[in-house]
Amino acid sequence: MKLPALTTNQKLATVAVVLGALALFSVPHRGPVVTLDTRELALIVDKEVDHVTPSELAAWIVQGRSDYRLIDLRAESDYAAYHIPTAENVTVAALPEFPFLRTEKIVLYSDGGIHAAQAWMLMQAQGYRAVYTVLGGLEGWKDDVLYPALPAQASGVERARFERAAALSRFFGGEPRAEGGTVAPLPMGLPKLAAPVSSGAVSPVAPRKKKKEGC
Amino acid sequence: MAPFYKYGFFGDEMSLILAFVLGTGFGFFLERAGFGSARKLAAQFYLYDMSVFKVMFTAIVTAMLGVTYLGWLGWLDLSLVYLVPTHLVPQIVGGLVLGVGFVVGGYCPGTSVASLATGRIDGFVYAFGIGAGTLVYAEVYPWIKGFVNSNGMGQVTLPEVFDLPWGLVVFAVVLIAVAGFSAATLVERRFGDEA
Repeated sequence: MKLPALTTNQKLATVAVVLGALALFSVPHRGPVVTLDTRELALIVDKEVDHVTPSELAAWIVQGRSDYRLIDLRAESDYAAYHIPTAENVTVAALPEFPFLRTEKIVLYSDGGIHAAQAWMLMQAQGYRAVYTVLGGLEGWKDDVLYPALPAQASGVERARFERAAALSRFFGGEPRAEGGTVAPLPMGLPKLAAPVSSGAVSPVAPRKKKKEGC
Repeated sequence: MAPFYKYGFFGDEMSLILAFVLGTGFGFFLERAGFGSARKLAAQFYLYDMSVFKVMFTAIVTAMLGVTYLGWLGWLDLSLVYLVPTHLVPQIVGGLVLGVGFVVGGYCPGTSVASLATGRIDGFVYAFGIGAGTLVYAEVYPWIKGFVNSNGMGQVTLPEVFDLPWGLVVFAVVLIAVAGFSAATLVERRFGDEA
């Protein structure tokens, strides 16, 4: 049997159709198995470029930046009691199935730093690159942002820094310690959830509209 | 291993150099397809020359098959490729505005640059219009910001929206393209004689 003569266009169209039909069976997305460059990861950990300090995070929130997603890894009840403003709640167990985009910048935090660091490793193993943890977790947030302390013999620079931290602290509903010069004991509780951001009483910078509210 | 930029194989400077090389190649093939001439492009809208439709759809099919197979081979991580977020209604309106400009001016933004590069005066005027239009858009943006950002669907793809397998959408687009090419040839035969 003789095949009918095809024009170049018809041949190309045929090739496209064949490739398209083969593509029916394609799996163009990565599965759960990826190759990790352990040396690269070790370098990231060593150079501590995978951290966001609580003060940096606080500044981002005040500026109303929306180019990142803040993820609270703790249990739902803890999240309901208090969470850093703008945070979304995703428990560690739910993390592998959560539909993050791999082009998103993701900032993780837990109570201390361990769960966040483990979750960071999980995310790396899934091919998420732009993942960061809050240095010190919620404890760090409490110490640095909510209840900043002024050292007993503070220098001028330290005092200026403390003034800025105190303004941030009040903005987030916290309470700066030792304004009179004596270090008060660390308040054990956390501010009421309604207090941060919405009050805006002593906001250092007027907060712009938040992208994600009430999540 | 790809996208190269996201995996840090080259930095900002290298990516700008590559953008120049790729852009030059793009412009070269636009010119080779005859798209440096407004007559050729306007003919699309009078239906006697469907080159624009054919070239653009060929590019879509080629690129789609390319990224599908590269992703299948594991050479390209599709989830790292940036997609422009979808805002359905604003983008339909924007597409219509661009379409009107295309018919009136005889170029789309890319082809106007190719035309400018070959020294055509209408291409120069069109490129000037793009600059002026961009400036006006930037100035009125505060008033239309709400509309521009409405209907946000995020970075979505057709397989996600219709909940279909990736391969099925690829095959369907190829079939639509081939059917479109046949139809375009028929349309050219029907209207081509009148020109």
